[in-house]
Amino acid sequence: MIRALIVDDEIHARDELEALLLETRSFSVVGKCDNAIGALETVKRDKPQVIFLDIQMPGITGLELLNMIDEEIMPMVVFVTAYDVYAIKAFEENAFDYLLKPVDKHRLAKTVLKLKKKLHDKSPNAIPGTEIRRIPCVASNRIKLIPISEVEYIRSNAAGVYLVCSQGEFFTEITLKVLEARSNLIRCHKQYLVNIDHVDEIVLQENQSAIIQTHLKKVVPVSRRYLKKIKDELGI
Amino acid sequence: MSLFFSLLQTMSFFLVVGYLYCKSPWFRPLANDHLAVKDKIQLYFFFSGLSILGTYLGHPVQDALANTRAIGPVLAGMIGGPLLGTAVGFTGGLHRFFQGGFTAFSCGLSTTVEGLIGGMLHLYLARTNRLQDIFRPDYAFLITIVSEIAQMVIIVAVSRPFSEALELVRIIAVPMIFTSSCGSALFMSIIRDQREMRDRAAAEFLSRALNIAERTLGLFTRGFDAKTAESMAGIIREETGVSAVAITDTEKVLSFVGLGSEHHLPGTPISSDLTRNAIEENKVVFVDGVNDTFVCPISDKCVLNSTLIVPLTDENRVVGTIKLYEAKNKRFLNMNKSLGKGIARLLSNQLLISRYEQQKNLLVTAELKILQAQVNPHFLFNSLNTIVAILRKDANRARELLIHLSVFMRKNLNRKKELSTLEEELAHVNSYLTIEKARYENRLTVVTDIDQGLLNLTLPAFTLQPLIENAIKHGISNMLEPGLVTIKAYRENGTAIIDIEDNAGAFLEKSNEDGLGIRIVDKRIKLVMGNSYGAQAHCVPHEKTLVRVSIPMEDVSHDSRINS
Repeated sequence: MIRALIVDDEIHARDELEALLLETRSFSVVGKCDNAIGALETVKRDKPQVIFLDIQMPGITGLELLNMIDEEIMPMVVFVTAYDVYAIKAFEENAFDYLLKPVDKHRLAKTVLKLKKKLHDKSPNAIPGTEIRRIPCVASNRIKLIPISEVEYIRSNAAGVYLVCSQGEFFTEITLKVLEARSNLIRCHKQYLVNIDHVDEIVLQENQSAIIQTHLKKVVPVSRRYLKKIKDELGI
Repeated sequence: MSLFFSLLQTMSFFLVVGYLYCKSPWFRPLANDHLAVKDKIQLYFFFSGLSILGTYLGHPVQDALANTRAIGPVLAGMIGGPLLGTAVGFTGGLHRFFQGGFTAFSCGLSTTVEGLIGGMLHLYLARTNRLQDIFRPDYAFLITIVSEIAQMVIIVAVSRPFSEALELVRIIAVPMIFTSSCGSALFMSIIRDQREMRDRAAAEFLSRALNIAERTLGLFTRGFDAKTAESMAGIIREETGVSAVAITDTEKVLSFVGLGSEHHLPGTPISSDLTRNAIEENKVVFVDGVNDTFVCPISDKCVLNSTLIVPLTDENRVVGTIKLYEAKNKRFLNMNKSLGKGIARLLSNQLLISRYEQQKNLLVTAELKILQAQVNPHFLFNSLNTIVAILRKDANRARELLIHLSVFMRKNLNRKKELSTLEEELAHVNSYLTIEKARYENRLTVVTDIDQGLLNLTLPAFTLQPLIENAIKHGISNMLEPGLVTIKAYRENGTAIIDIEDNAGAFLEKSNEDGLGIRIVDKRIKLVMGNSYGAQAHCVPHEKTLVRVSIPMEDVSHDSRINS
């Protein structure tokens, strides 16, 4: 049984794909999500082996979502699309698997074969990493998309990852590691990333660490290990 | 010898007359290349007068007159052709005939012949395509010599007694031939110089006008704003050489270049009553600085004291003014006055053309957009996918949805009409909404509240669907709670209002998709219904977006035309 996650913003599309997957008797569906935040959460929690991902979703697209997943737990990906001429061309060129809506079960059978082969080979996923431009966050009753440029800094603790911007502090499902790799935010501490554009001043401490004050007068710690890199980045 | 000097004196008098003539308005026909009948009649009177004057100023010699009567007919013939020449010659000759003396007849006859000879030269030059040479002084000189010799021959041949005639000719021939020819030549050169001067002035005017036209061409297609106005004012000032140039819209100064630019600042409101007057009454205001002076309302140190204010119009609506100024020590040239008016006309035309282009582009975009909607593949395949899914659970519902999808697609594909009724629009939107509601199920709620009296309202086809599509996109996109789209149609102060509201508050004016959709709808309404109607978005971030469409009510009565 392949553990699968379905991500699509339309309920019937999710139900239909689930029904088709179950009919093949090769899958167990670990979750169905209609938005990026739920999907990130499920990937982290349930570690599905494959994700069936709708590309054209409002807010965060399927491709953007992939960039936000930690590579270590990155599942195999099957793109699902109603009509994306350019995306389909890209998939074919990069040998990614994709399904067209409405999904034909004979076509799905081929996908099952490919997936099983990949699982057997344990071939790594080669998802091209591109820059994350917006971070999806939960804000009361809606998903907020905060541009990286507005982020002052990001901190993580036992409860999760929080980003701080002028609008406040928001929880996000993306890990520090992914954000460090796929954005221009800079690691300044084991638990902190800082946006260098929002740094107001750096106060050096006696024990060779430092404290960054941001434009919003927030204080971000800089550990000894990362101080040099920060200084280089600022050209000091 | 004294005869010789007397004739020279007479000739000088003629030249003075010629000079004055060239400065008078009667000269105007001669400045053109083609003479109308009216012009010829005028020339006839002038040259006949000249000829008669020649007789009066003649000097008695042996019961006859030594004179310069020939100049008029010969020149008239050269300039106006044989008919004019003969007519002038005959008139001058007739007058001479009644003066009496033994040469009365021969002189009368010979004067007519002289006009004819001048005319023959004109005819010859015309035949050999050398009409530009009719004003050549050397030709005038030679043809007058020929004419005067002819006259002498006629006098000798016709006048009796023969011996007296011969004696007369012996005395007058040389002085008359010489002075008349010189007079003709000089007279002609005065005419020619005057013509060339006019040509030069016209050529200069033309070249400046063309320069301005060429340099400003297409400048306003980029829009009538401060930036284009500044380049425009700069060009106009360079080409006309006036002290200062300003361009305003109907409220403020867009640009000002030249003297006084330190206190006439772009961006400041229009300060002069003259300009406001020009805008309000759509008329040219000219203050010449002599009878009436321009007084700068901003600074009493301003050196500008004459101005020309020409309104700029866009389809008879004044959109601004062009102002040319001269300083106290400079006269406001007539040429610049005409140029100023011409420039304003030119720019007004350019504005009109650029607006026409804009509208054409807009229509093309709108058509493209409609075309897209007709065959939006995303919508189509997602809808089919939804129906496939529902087929598993509820075949009846799936069937209904398929029928709605057919209705929607058919309307999209068949829509050729520019206008549609609210009822038709709502039916179209209803099919669309039924499918969208099925796709998103409980994540999307749509509430409609329509004043049934407005169902016959006329509005541009495809007004509602793109706006509702936008609202749904926002309503279901970033919302964790269900999206709510409200559609209302009601009357307000004699205008029909259609409100489309969502509870996401995610409208981004700058976003191309959001902005373009509503802009196209807005401009199509304005194009068809007039500028006081249209579509406008009000967004309260994270709370709601309201798109308000206003449509004139009077078109409700025109529904029969739309339905037919």
